[in-house]
Amino acid sequence: MRLLAALVLALVATPAAADPVRLPILVPVTGFLSLEGTSQRNGALLALKQAPAGLAMGEVVDTATAPENAVNALLRVLDQGPVPAIVAPMLGTQMLALMPTALEEKLPLLTVSGTASLTEQGNPWVFRFFPSDKLAKEAHVRYAVEQMGKRKLALIYQTTAYGQSGAAYIAAAAKRHGASLVFSEGIDTDVKDLAPILGRAAASGADVLLLHLHAGSTALAIRQVAALGIALPVVAGSALHQPATAALLDPKELKGVCAESGASPVSGGSPRLDRFLADYRAAFGTDPDAYALAQYDGTQMLLDILARGARTGEQVQAALATGQWDGVAMHYASDGHGDMAHSAVILCYDGLTRVPKIVQQYDGLDAG
Amino acid sequence: MPAELTTLAQLLLNGLALGAAYALVALGFVLILNATGAINFAQGDMVMLGGYAAVALARVLPISGLVLLPLVMLAMAGFGLLFSLLAWRPFRHRPPIFGLLATVALGLTLQEAMNAVEGAAPQAGPTLLGTGEIRFGPLGLSRASLGILIAGLVLGLAQAWLLGRTQFGRRLRASAQDSVTARALGIPVDRLIAASFMLAAALAGAVGLLLSGPYFVTPTTGNDLILRAYIAVTIGGWGSLKGAVVGALLIALFESVVAGYASSVVATAALYGAVLLLLVVRPAGLFPALLGRRA
Repeated sequence: MRLLAALVLALVATPAAADPVRLPILVPVTGFLSLEGTSQRNGALLALKQAPAGLAMGEVVDTATAPENAVNALLRVLDQGPVPAIVAPMLGTQMLALMPTALEEKLPLLTVSGTASLTEQGNPWVFRFFPSDKLAKEAHVRYAVEQMGKRKLALIYQTTAYGQSGAAYIAAAAKRHGASLVFSEGIDTDVKDLAPILGRAAASGADVLLLHLHAGSTALAIRQVAALGIALPVVAGSALHQPATAALLDPKELKGVCAESGASPVSGGSPRLDRFLADYRAAFGTDPDAYALAQYDGTQMLLDILARGARTGEQVQAALATGQWDGVAMHYASDGHGDMAHSAVILCYDGLTRVPKIVQQYDGLDAG
Repeated sequence: MPAELTTLAQLLLNGLALGAAYALVALGFVLILNATGAINFAQGDMVMLGGYAAVALARVLPISGLVLLPLVMLAMAGFGLLFSLLAWRPFRHRPPIFGLLATVALGLTLQEAMNAVEGAAPQAGPTLLGTGEIRFGPLGLSRASLGILIAGLVLGLAQAWLLGRTQFGRRLRASAQDSVTARALGIPVDRLIAASFMLAAALAGAVGLLLSGPYFVTPTTGNDLILRAYIAVTIGGWGSLKGAVVGALLIALFESVVAGYASSVVATAALYGAVLLLLVVRPAGLFPALLGRRA
């Protein structure tokens, strides 16, 4: 009887150890970044769904678009007890707002934000599973210069923080690769008629047109390039790789257009990627983009660390900083600053379908 | 035609097409302004809703935008009635600021609702006259832009006829000018105001469809349009239908031409600079209306 009582006591006393770990997923599922934020959320949720039963439990919190929303969401999550890590928003301004709290609370933030400066702040609690804008724009320019043999670049970028930051990296990369930026101009997100700017870009003497625009403007630019018969080849930014963006265009309008991205899940290419694609479609009824895949990979690495017994922020941080992960999209390992992703791809459309083919993969982009 | 002249003519043609769409938004804005004395800040969001209505209808009825246009306008007219019941009727005996705030609240609610239902990704709707380009000698115009231009002209003229040549229009104008006297004369002012909302929403629906094909639709599409409508009405003369059309066309032509020769950023800054200047030298706008003093 005493043995039975001891056994019951032991069972009652240890449920905490068996409780799933809380994993907050703070992402912008409303507001202007909700498309990408939803992808990020879905990637994390799919990884959780495939984790060993009882290991971790996701808690999705919408951060919308304001930095203070993200901070409030984090504080609310922490009020409910300790957590070992956070799936953190992809919006750079929200990440910058969260980083002081992460430092104070010793809490790893796993993000897919492209804002390069996040990992340049000396904050050891930030881990990025997506190539930073700096690396992505290096691939963007390198493809135009090395593979396409172009030397005179025209650039149309968005006048948002995202657009201006990317434009600066493109200008720097062009200089590094001996190409000249013969045309560079920003447009607001509300500009509908791009004919004037496209006309000036075509008349600038450029031999390739680079786009660094949000999804809507990217689709508009490509549609109007096709409609105006502008002969410049186009290499777009990562917005084009999103299936929702390509869906806006006729395959004929996409013919010959290329784009940079961290990955292109819909292009398939490996059994693991095909399985991810099938699982994602089954779970969410839609096609994944690179953000979904990157967050899936990042969350899987985190879950593996948790499965090996890590329970505190410090344990998770140490494992992320020193470990490696063979993800579906790429191989991940920290460069010492929290940048885990070091690869990017170039994808191109053949004019027959909206599913692009990967034509170039760049690994070790930050090695040089 | 010299190349410089061709470039200018092309820019003007492009601007004219976009201006036709802006003009329809501004007309809807002025209709409600005249009927209620309140600013409808949700007019742009009604355009957005019309765009999504076009996208949704095109999913189930894969037919020409030309056929879908009256369906979308009809559906949006119904929404306009609902809108008037929510945003105007409860506040009709209160100062106009109540109505204004109600339209802001409803507009934001529409945006978030569409974000929740359809997501933030841009979506493409049907086009009125198909895709591709039509050449007029050295000038080119996309079929979508031509559709906007023609539809803008037809709907604009239809509205001018409705307001200027029919009993409905005369009663509506009488109500707008002096609702107390109009009521005393037995004019059903409240019903006419509800009809104004329906008409404005139908126009917004038309613009939503017209823009959703070539320029896509997102939940925040209306934000830019309402700003332009507001500026168009300010330029044209507060409450003037003719002024709204002229103001909208001026904005689009200004944007197109300045962006063509400088940049879109310069065009935007110059536009607002020009509006400021106009407010100083001609505060009542180009076509001052009686309502200007009242509002």
